[in-house]
Amino acid sequence: MSGSAVEKTESQETAVLALHKKFLGGEQAKAPLRSINEAGIKRFELLKFPHKKHEMYTFVNTHELAGTSFELAGEGPVDTAWVQSRIYPACKHSVAVFVNGAFQANLSDLSGLGDSFKIQCLSDAVVDDEIKQTLIDSLEEENDVFAALNSAFMHHGVLIDIPAKATFDVPVQLLYVSTGTSSGAVVSHPRLVVRLGEMAELKVLPVYAGTRGNYCVNAVNDFIIKDGAGVTCTQVQKDDAESWHVSKTRVQVHRDGRLFARNASSGNRLTRHHYEIHLKEEGAELLLSGATVLVHQEQVHNFIRIHHEAPHCTSEQLFKNVINDKGRSSVDGTVIVNKGAQLTNSNQLINNLMLSDEAHSDNKPNLMIFADDVKCTHGTTVGQIDEDQLFYLKTRGLSEALAKSLLTTSFVNSLIQTIPFPDVVADLNEILLKKLEAKHA
Amino acid sequence: MSLLEIKDLHAGFEGTEIVKGVSLTINAGEVHAIMGPNGSGKSTLSKVLAGHPSYVVSKGSITYNGQDLLEMDAEERALAGVFLGFQYPVEIPGVNNAEFLRMAYNAKLVKQGQDEVDPLDFDEILDEKMKMVGMDKKYKDRFLNEGFSGGEKKKNEILQMAVLDPKLTILDETDSGLDIDALKVVAQGVNKLTNENNALIMITHYQRLLNYIEPQFVHVFSGGKIVKSGGKELAHELEAQGYDWVTAPAK
Repeated sequence: MSGSAVEKTESQETAVLALHKKFLGGEQAKAPLRSINEAGIKRFELLKFPHKKHEMYTFVNTHELAGTSFELAGEGPVDTAWVQSRIYPACKHSVAVFVNGAFQANLSDLSGLGDSFKIQCLSDAVVDDEIKQTLIDSLEEENDVFAALNSAFMHHGVLIDIPAKATFDVPVQLLYVSTGTSSGAVVSHPRLVVRLGEMAELKVLPVYAGTRGNYCVNAVNDFIIKDGAGVTCTQVQKDDAESWHVSKTRVQVHRDGRLFARNASSGNRLTRHHYEIHLKEEGAELLLSGATVLVHQEQVHNFIRIHHEAPHCTSEQLFKNVINDKGRSSVDGTVIVNKGAQLTNSNQLINNLMLSDEAHSDNKPNLMIFADDVKCTHGTTVGQIDEDQLFYLKTRGLSEALAKSLLTTSFVNSLIQTIPFPDVVADLNEILLKKLEAKHA
Repeated sequence: MSLLEIKDLHAGFEGTEIVKGVSLTINAGEVHAIMGPNGSGKSTLSKVLAGHPSYVVSKGSITYNGQDLLEMDAEERALAGVFLGFQYPVEIPGVNNAEFLRMAYNAKLVKQGQDEVDPLDFDEILDEKMKMVGMDKKYKDRFLNEGFSGGEKKKNEILQMAVLDPKLTILDETDSGLDIDALKVVAQGVNKLTNENNALIMITHYQRLLNYIEPQFVHVFSGGKIVKSGGKELAHELEAQGYDWVTAPAK
């Protein structure tokens, strides 16, 4: 590496430290979170921005992102009608709106959820020992520099705290709006902690959207799922094309708990989702799926570490990527089966459909097994449009263009159609499948 | 004018000639059966007729309804009324069966200069056709052929035939893998769809299908050629005596 490149990285890190100093001295910082902010920046100094050979960033070039100077995003203003139009009809009375990471009570409507749905600022929730410990513990072991930065700048995160046995009829939309700027780039650090008491159930739909480009979302989500509780989390990333989106989702699933996590990403300058999931006790179950359609130079990357820590746990992963033009995707996923985690059942499959010569996809399905009585599979496919399927459709009178569009659409649609929320399916038809129609029609 | 006229057709796949000089004339209102042992070139002929791009015609001609069929793309042939019922119908996860059928139906309407039908109107048409071929309505909302049993896949082919109402239908081994009950249902469906204005070519390895769909003409394929042609009684002779007595002299 040349001397100038090293200097550049250092100056980027210096800039972040300066921004952090300004943040701690300013009005945005919250006193109860200060120890976490300080621990976060220390972790950042230790980890530093990733270089190309960093194990976690083998397939992801964060150089442009790290090299951009960001200011902390403010809280708006935001056009109410713009926000309203992005609220799913089924979530009219179960929506929490965040602008640049900050919860907006006036734009939110949680009236359809009843008293057992509790949402509070993390600066207030941090008095709860378990919450505080979760925030601190996760930092001590944090190996993702962007997640560490989220803690360093955390000031407006929320806790969704669901008491034991509570269930809800409707899904909760978490609408994260980034406002972007026409001048310098801004960054927001949304933080969400979701805790479900025993046997509670919750469906959340985090949706990320931007009013204009030139922003970065650096989100961290923690899920604590107690015995027998279940979360369905369907995340939609439909940021502005001129944005960056990095996220980390940390999950602890206790005995017989369930997480059904789906993520659909439309891509942008760089999207990277990092999942760290601990199936901590017997019977814990995970479903994790991802769908993406990339055109132009859009990028979506997934980095996944699933820890099977107890016997009889299940994890199912399925990723489907359609990549056209100069799009790039990667799925780097490892399932770690601890010693003693017998009768683990784990499957991972990554399917890629490549539509151009310059499309790029890196896939690394990986298994590390330290138990001897487990059933684990992993695999990946990379292919073009199936000629037999194309011929079949043409023999029914469909034009080549229509047949190709149908086949590329169906490739991701088989995953999208498994999403149990019609509003989300309709949304994904707009943001993902439309990209394919435009290409072939 | 004949509906289909194949003259001295030579065709193959990946450089190997499989069909080695086939001539066949088919008129509207006729039902032909092409029989023969495995590997005799029957399925290759069906792929060539439907316009599979991997099958190359090296010699000969095919005239369909006065047009040079070999000049037409697979979709043009379909829109002109040629229908191939596949031996192994392809599964396409993610494509809704009813939507696919409506797309195919509409493609034909547009070709004929008519307006497309909307999903509600098509639903009525589809219900009637499904009844005709004895298919459960639940298959409307399934992904195209995905997880269908062998019998349901074949019924779905006949359903497509019913929806598209082709002039020339080629059924490639539609009977293989079907139990007798499914075969009867499929055959009844096909019989309802054949009339004096269209023609049917059944490609089969077994005589069983011909008990339920009666051909006027039977052709025996061997070594890429038609080695014997006759009436429906030829099928019975083949069933009783096997293929050796007709194929042996050709070798």
